[in-house]
Amino acid sequence: MDTQVAPSPAAVPEALPTRPVRPPGLWRQGWYRFRRNKGGMLGLALVTMVVVVALLCPFIAPYAPNDQDAMLRGASRAAPSLQHLLGTDRNGYDVLSRVLYGAPTALAVGLGAMLIASVVGVLVGGIAGYAGGLVDEALMRFTEFFMVIPVFVVILAVVRLFGIVVVGTALEDVPNLNLMTIIVLLGLFEWPPIARMARAEFLRLKNAEFVEAATCIGVTRRGIILRHILPNALPSLIVLVALGIGGAILAETMVSFLGFGDPKAVSWGQLLYFNYEALKVAPWASLAPGGAIFLTVLGFNLLADGLTDAFNPRLRG
Amino acid sequence: MGTARYILRRLIFSAFLVVGVSVILFSMINAIGNPVEILLAERPGMTEEVIEAVSQYYGLHGTVVDRYFAWAWAVLRFDFGTSIIYNQPVSEMLVLYGMETLKIQLPAILIALMLAVTISTVAATRQYSRVDFGVISGAMLGHSLPGFFVGIILILVFSYWLGILPSYGAYSTRNPLMGSPALDALWHMVLPVGMLVFFNTATLTLLMRASLVEVLRQDFITAARASGLPERRVVFGHALRNAFIPVLTYLGILFGLMLGTAPVTETVFTWPGLGALYIMAIQQLDYPLIMGETMVITFMLVGATLLTDIAYVLIDPRIRLG
Repeated sequence: MDTQVAPSPAAVPEALPTRPVRPPGLWRQGWYRFRRNKGGMLGLALVTMVVVVALLCPFIAPYAPNDQDAMLRGASRAAPSLQHLLGTDRNGYDVLSRVLYGAPTALAVGLGAMLIASVVGVLVGGIAGYAGGLVDEALMRFTEFFMVIPVFVVILAVVRLFGIVVVGTALEDVPNLNLMTIIVLLGLFEWPPIARMARAEFLRLKNAEFVEAATCIGVTRRGIILRHILPNALPSLIVLVALGIGGAILAETMVSFLGFGDPKAVSWGQLLYFNYEALKVAPWASLAPGGAIFLTVLGFNLLADGLTDAFNPRLRG
Repeated sequence: MGTARYILRRLIFSAFLVVGVSVILFSMINAIGNPVEILLAERPGMTEEVIEAVSQYYGLHGTVVDRYFAWAWAVLRFDFGTSIIYNQPVSEMLVLYGMETLKIQLPAILIALMLAVTISTVAATRQYSRVDFGVISGAMLGHSLPGFFVGIILILVFSYWLGILPSYGAYSTRNPLMGSPALDALWHMVLPVGMLVFFNTATLTLLMRASLVEVLRQDFITAARASGLPERRVVFGHALRNAFIPVLTYLGILFGLMLGTAPVTETVFTWPGLGALYIMAIQQLDYPLIMGETMVITFMLVGATLLTDIAYVLIDPRIRLG
């Protein structure tokens, strides 16, 4: 998979009969270095755990996410017990089940937001870096604009206002519209770092020798950008995406915690929002989602750290 | 390009930024309809006369563009209009609540900076030692701990279990600590400042250590050592100063981050600052307050970025201006 994705310059000697063994590609070399990084491996383990939980939550969660039976038994805000390992919350939900079912929501937020951010960022940064000149100047000023605005504050306002704007329109019937608004907004505000990195990488690579070589043998501009520059820019971008996923998950949690989240979504922030007021009597209902957020964000941060080490050994401190 | 011209260019760009944010938000707010209609939607049975009077009172006549310019012109004179829910001048409220926000954020950033410089110097001068490893791991953990989660734990431990610090508010409503209002205010500040310090120290330490390690590896440090300078002077006189440059740029971002997440901090500790006020404003759609708040936060953020940019140029002569 390595050399197809990334036809690195090191892979060129493959055709020569004197070098029958193909040297490891960019990705495999990165993996060799990544494996030695304990923090990175811990991050990978944590992220894998979150993904597994997200995929298997219907099978491993002891209760359905909307099971409020505890409420009927008068056992809302019950302390952790054998029946409810992490206790129950204000609405009689089983905290453990809600936390497990929060994982797919968190991943949807992180991946969705970063997908949007990556597309916008690579487009803006790539064009700026490749075109240069006035286009570059204009796009980078635009990027700077998005870097300086107080993102979180603006997102809060826009989520609330958009929720009113859609009332009475066709959009109103879209399920989880509120959550999707948050995802799109996070994506639309989190792309500047990716754009800056993409620009730097495109600038560096467009004058690289192997790109010149590709131009010489008549590769089209599209081919050069898509097959030669972009794959080689990916390692640096992936680091930012990994960081951004953690950041987006945290941001959604904070938006929900403040009460502007999706009331229908099962998310960690919602759990905190509903249970924070009762921190004193039912701390488990706040600590459990908080811990889940911590482990997830830590996982993505460590993963990003390990990836930086693996792909940019120069930067190793 | 000269330094003065560079600063002027940054100033102009910053002004554009502030205007841009205000235009975006103003159009968003007006996209949900005429503010008067929203205001009166929950109060049916208003006569035309009353609607007219309310429109007059809040300056809601004319088209969106007219209203924007009227608003912008007033803002230039630091007049943000009148809050709808509080019926108070927004500018006065911003100052009042802004002081409460700065009261916890400025000490937090200063304390965090001092801690981070100390910790990272200890770690970087012993690179790859056990101490260094411990510092990196701790800082990484701290950096990944969501601020509000730290706040929750602090409240649980110090307010509920140990019962020695207040969990909410900036003042006691009665019986201030030992009869002294000043002491009482400080006492209330401990937990929120503690939470912000925790977060900032972790991030700043990570950055400062990496930067210091990088600088300590450079030729001029080797030269300084070779010329027989004591290690203490090499580290404190030469390395720290240079290592501080990337940290300085980050300070502006960090301040912006703190200000931007003030709603979270102030919800956790029920702190009467800009963040708590902002949430109130959004929930109640108090649009003069929303606009005023966003403007002040944007302005402070842009100002902090501008200041760090300028400081950056003044400190490091190697920076190419552009």
